[in-house]
Amino acid sequence: MKKNNIRVNINGEWHDLTISLQDRLIDTLRDQLGLTGTKEGCGEGECGACTINLNGKAVLACLMLSVQADGAKIQTIEGLQNGLDLHPLQTAFLNEFAVQCGYCTPGMIMAGHALIKQDPDPDETKVKTCLANNLCRCTGYEQPIKAVLKAAREMRGKTND
Amino acid sequence: MPLQYNLESYHKPEDIGQAIDLLSKLGNTAQVIAGGTDILPRRQSGAKFNTLTHLIDISGLGLNYIRKNADKICIGAATDINCLAISPVFRSSPYTVLAEAANVHSTHTIRNRATIGGNLCNASPCADLALPLLALSAAVVVAGPKGNHTIQLDSFFKGPNCTALLPNEILQEIVIPIQQETSSASFLKLRHHQTAIDMAVVNVATLLFLKKNNCLSAKIALGSVGPTSFLAKKATAILSGQTLNKKLIQQAARISADESSPIDDNRATASYRKEMVAVLVENSLEKSWQRSRE
Repeated sequence: MKKNNIRVNINGEWHDLTISLQDRLIDTLRDQLGLTGTKEGCGEGECGACTINLNGKAVLACLMLSVQADGAKIQTIEGLQNGLDLHPLQTAFLNEFAVQCGYCTPGMIMAGHALIKQDPDPDETKVKTCLANNLCRCTGYEQPIKAVLKAAREMRGKTND
Repeated sequence: MPLQYNLESYHKPEDIGQAIDLLSKLGNTAQVIAGGTDILPRRQSGAKFNTLTHLIDISGLGLNYIRKNADKICIGAATDINCLAISPVFRSSPYTVLAEAANVHSTHTIRNRATIGGNLCNASPCADLALPLLALSAAVVVAGPKGNHTIQLDSFFKGPNCTALLPNEILQEIVIPIQQETSSASFLKLRHHQTAIDMAVVNVATLLFLKKNNCLSAKIALGSVGPTSFLAKKATAILSGQTLNKKLIQQAARISADESSPIDDNRATASYRKEMVAVLVENSLEKSWQRSRE
């Protein structure tokens, strides 16, 4: 299997990695780096469970090759919390009971995170559009929308991400 | 689970000449990618890519731009679809039609990677961006070993997943000519489940160039109802030179349905699609007409 070397910044730390050409970014994150917070659902871009942040934008880690990420700045769900302090989005998801089995949650939070960075005061329609790529099989859509709106409210005024 | 095909090499050329040299050398074992969103879904690992062993990533060639001047709008092939959705260039009539299609293309996470060039080169008959571009009489600039040449988008699509590009050519830029000031356009998409990720059952873009209610010219572009996206030319012929009215619009919509040749598949039956062509074309023409009065 052909190998390539890449250098990527993941959650603030640069990594020099030797990856296989066949590896998608989600394979590298989960299997090589042990960052299993990013989930794989469908593997074809439909469910959003693998949503991460790449150079400031929400993207799907199953729809890109690791080799394409060379030089990129990546943030995963593991990079949101500050030590033991949860990120306001994580807290809002807990407080709004926006988590049932939890498999879709990291993807939803990362999608919401990218939205709030871009628009600190999103309305409900924007949140719905933003979460449209995140499927939840436990049927809990209302609570995640409320959680993102709540987190946005709490984060306004704060600049610490 | 990693990819099914056996990749031997990944190239990220720094200029288009290098990219073309690589393509010329590697032939049909190579695939040009930008975002990669069309080749990575697992189900795509079937026959279409069974010779694929080399990737040529053109995302580093500086082809990510939208430029407008007095007579045209130029879009770099590797411009991501969200850029089109939010660009101020596509906020005025009739160019809004491109932003309209970009906004309902897949989902925002995919649109952050997927590119306009990819949407055209993949040549899916249901490609959303193909329709506004056909309606706006767009052309594509193709780079090859002998230099650049231009192909009208209308003759670019040759079949499902098949374009006029030669194996050693790259789609470099999309060019939209500046339209008549009083023209207006709209895009409509019907989906099976009406979820964001769902592909179109039928998609339609129309453009009207009106003076008062006199239709000087029109364009009707149809998607998902033939082997390629295409312009319904018989339908537009009955609009040109006529005073626009509801009955004429319905007639054009009916002829559009006759011009379509849909198939049955898991998203819809052919007969349903044909009926929906008439509905969507009528609604889209009405919407374009409405916009001309705003």
